[in-house]
Amino acid sequence: MLFFRSEERVREWCSATGYPLRPLVRMDQLWELAREWYSTRLQPDSRRPQPAEMRGIFARLGLVGDFWDPQSDVFGGGSA
Amino acid sequence: MRGERMELELRAKLAIYEHFSATGRRPSVEDLAPRVGVGVAQVREIFRRLQAQRVLVLEKDGESIRMAPPFSGIPTQHRVTAGGVSYHANCAWDALGIPAALHQPATVHSRCEQSMEPLEMEVSDRGPDVSDWLFHCVVPAAQWWDDIVFT
Repeated sequence: MLFFRSEERVREWCSATGYPLRPLVRMDQLWELAREWYSTRLQPDSRRPQPAEMRGIFARLGLVGDFWDPQSDVFGGGSA
Repeated sequence: MRGERMELELRAKLAIYEHFSATGRRPSVEDLAPRVGVGVAQVREIFRRLQAQRVLVLEKDGESIRMAPPFSGIPTQHRVTAGGVSYHANCAWDALGIPAALHQPATVHSRCEQSMEPLEMEVSDRGPDVSDWLFHCVVPAAQWWDDIVFT
């Protein structure tokens, strides 16, 4: 989970490393993700978002598709 | 018995986060034992249970905290300063997660992974200043916890 100066820099990095290009996230979207995950983290009743909640958060921010599905088996996972 | 276990886990979790918030550094099992009111061996056991719950990620020694998201127990390329304290984040997401968790204005210091251009971003309670920097994650959400350190 890394910062990049521009889409061009992401493409160069993917080309150099062999990693696939994934959906790009803007800083305003990343702030909303950070708030959803961590704004109550220091409080007694905090807990990590569960898969259904994660799906809702991603969808609200326009982050949709198998890449953002915490239970997708398209990539052979399911551990989020 | 189960209630008592959960109470100790909650006390440990809060003490871990209080230590990170106040110092920017990870607490040791020795730091936490008096705060939780148990012995060092029991803190190690609580750490293992918190790791199983994905609250913590431990180093291979089984007792040093590698991650208590959004805080990193070791230095990383993502540094956050807030309230005169310097923190390290586990990743770009967690770099914004630290001001979100602290509810304090902060400055995020990081870099573009390709060009190594430095990033310095002010974050207020309304979020980061307008910025055209981007976030990119290689690992799909379904696989984040397969290797959370790599993710």
